[in-house]
Amino acid sequence: MIMGDAFMSTGQWIITIGEGTCGIAAGAPEITDLLKKRFPEATFKSVGCVGMCHREVMVEITNPTGHKYLWGNLTKKNLPKVVQFHRGTGDLPAALLIRSSEDPNAEGGKYLAMQTRIALRNVGQLNPTSLEQYRARGGYAAIERILRSGMTPEAVIEEVKTSKIRGRGGAGFPTATKWGFARNAPGEVKYLICNGDEGDPGAFMDRSLLEGDPHSVLEGMLIAAYAIGASKGYAYIRAEYPLAVQFFGKAIEDARAAGFLGHGILGTGFDFDVRIKEGAGAFVCGEETALMASIEGERGMPRIRPPFPAIKGLFGKPTIINNVETLANLAWIINNGGAAYAAIGTPASSGTKVFALAGAVARGGLVEVPMGVTIRHVIEEIGGGSASNRPLKAVQLGGPSGGCIPERLFDTPIEYEAINATGAIMGSGGMVVTDSKSCMVDLARYFLEFTQNESCGKCTFCRIGTLRMKEILTRICDGEGTMADIETLEELAPRIKTATLCGLGQTAPNPVLTTLKYFRDEYIAHVQEKRCPGGVCKGLITHTIQNDKCTGCSICQRYCPVNAIAGTLKQPDSWVIDQKICINCGMCVEVCNPDAILAA
Amino acid sequence: MSNASLEAVVDPDHVQGWIDAIGSDASAAVPLLQAIQTAYGYLPRKAMNLVVERTRINASQLFGVATFYAQFRLKPVGRHMIKVCHGTACHVQGADRLNTSLRHALGIGDPEQDTATNGSYTVENVACIGCCSLAPVMLIDGQAFPNLKGADAQRHLHKHAREHNEILALQESAE
Repeated sequence: MIMGDAFMSTGQWIITIGEGTCGIAAGAPEITDLLKKRFPEATFKSVGCVGMCHREVMVEITNPTGHKYLWGNLTKKNLPKVVQFHRGTGDLPAALLIRSSEDPNAEGGKYLAMQTRIALRNVGQLNPTSLEQYRARGGYAAIERILRSGMTPEAVIEEVKTSKIRGRGGAGFPTATKWGFARNAPGEVKYLICNGDEGDPGAFMDRSLLEGDPHSVLEGMLIAAYAIGASKGYAYIRAEYPLAVQFFGKAIEDARAAGFLGHGILGTGFDFDVRIKEGAGAFVCGEETALMASIEGERGMPRIRPPFPAIKGLFGKPTIINNVETLANLAWIINNGGAAYAAIGTPASSGTKVFALAGAVARGGLVEVPMGVTIRHVIEEIGGGSASNRPLKAVQLGGPSGGCIPERLFDTPIEYEAINATGAIMGSGGMVVTDSKSCMVDLARYFLEFTQNESCGKCTFCRIGTLRMKEILTRICDGEGTMADIETLEELAPRIKTATLCGLGQTAPNPVLTTLKYFRDEYIAHVQEKRCPGGVCKGLITHTIQNDKCTGCSICQRYCPVNAIAGTLKQPDSWVIDQKICINCGMCVEVCNPDAILAA
Repeated sequence: MSNASLEAVVDPDHVQGWIDAIGSDASAAVPLLQAIQTAYGYLPRKAMNLVVERTRINASQLFGVATFYAQFRLKPVGRHMIKVCHGTACHVQGADRLNTSLRHALGIGDPEQDTATNGSYTVENVACIGCCSLAPVMLIDGQAFPNLKGADAQRHLHKHAREHNEILALQESAE
């Protein structure tokens, strides 16, 4: 949130509420309504997601003397404590305070202070639906400078080349090189597409950018379009992100009204306009050629390359597809110079990378760090380590195309080549942490089920190969696998990788290969000992009631979906689970207050 | 109430309105289907036939697109839609239990079935909705409920049902 450093006595209450998807999901609208009743005299402001998702609902309250307090984890129940504090009738509820003007380096302050925010520079700092606020923070200065100073497209490409930025969608291809192909491709009409089809489960960087700072992405599109000579643009945004579609649409309208989009932008000869295309739920559409097929109204199936999209892309014209995060960095690069960007990070992987940190960590959310810091730094220093007290086991990077990196390799630096060497990939930035109560075989099965579902069906090895892998993994999870199954997985993997057209198939075996490489013991435990070490796989665990801990309250019976639990009220010794009926869904464990049900 | 009564009544004028607004060439296929699904909750056969008759999109393209993308469904939906997120973070934190508990509360036993027989609710799995730090998450009619256990999902469902005068199959056993 804003948290400006200077005290500014405004003489009035200002209440700023984080209203990104996370904030809304956690209950921000309800908290806003309550605060409006308690502070009818206050000015209310709405900002995008600041990225501290673990502290939602977040509200910043500035009192009339200019003191700011950033509160987190607000609920209907604890809100009165905050109101009482501000009205002088209660003590400061310390557990809810993230930071304040008096104590800017409180726990929550550190979470942000440890980050280097370039792509996320405005997220959570401004109202995403306000062009004025974006302008006030230096917005559209980069495109103005390019057009007014007569900077040539070649010079723009050169500046981006100096920054050494690589595409943030996952593959890490140098952005300037890609632009050069399209710049030099013959043709009057060229297209620039913003790839906002963030399909990796466990990733929400692009959502936060489109929702929290849409103008930065749009300005990035303008810069890219100018560089390659495109006059038409599409923003392909997945349908699961309604707020992103809404805010980006508003940004397009406002930018057009202000003369930043359309014919003769800023009185020059540069024409460019953007349309939104909503995705319809297909992971493969994150792949460039499939995405273009989808915009053309076809099934989103990849095409053979070459010809590359930069030569022959959308509707047969030269087309560049850039990821949302890549685009969000561009205005900063033009304003500060490519050399300043290249000075951050490592020689081969310059700049910063945004990660969506989630799973078994204490502080999940959006994290932007310079390339080259270690995975451990992100998970333990910024993320605060394990959320439970259980030891961490692994981190899943890159979603279904990526892999699991074990805890012992957490000192791996975050750069493209070092991460590839582990068998995982940088990916778009999903970082899901797991602890000892997770099962690596189940996680591999989850991803193969995902890729199998999302395979477009064009290549045999992707269509059938991933199905066979999923069947084998399901068998192993059910306790019916054999050692030969593990060999078959290892035999299938390289064939799927080499005999498929697009990134989906070529990377689909990665979750299996990395878990086999680092967690082979878990596979063997499932196959030979018929045991799931993480206590996850339903076919290999049993639920039993420990009668010495049971209070006989019967709540487990009420929630059991298959009526497998029986006993007499208030007679702890009478309660049993009928193993023949039990489906090991774990509902009883969740509802049992004295923690009397054992899953093993 | 049987599932047959959930079939939507399609107004040809509405379909024509969408065609006029969106277009009738090949690239209009996805947005047209999105407009139809937003209105009816699924893709009624009659509406799709009208699109084929009145645009340059042929039936094989339209049905090809409708069956390719996960967003589209050809079966009618209940009066309310529950979407359970199955992203990675939700999966490792027990999203499956939300399905088990919701389907139990709604009396949906058949694995092929996703809508309660009285037409009240449909339970659908969706790909990551991007609220990973609040996992597991579900949406009822677009409103998100964060950090759920199986029992919480059932409690929210019961509350929603009370507020919308819906009757759940196993009301007496869970409250």
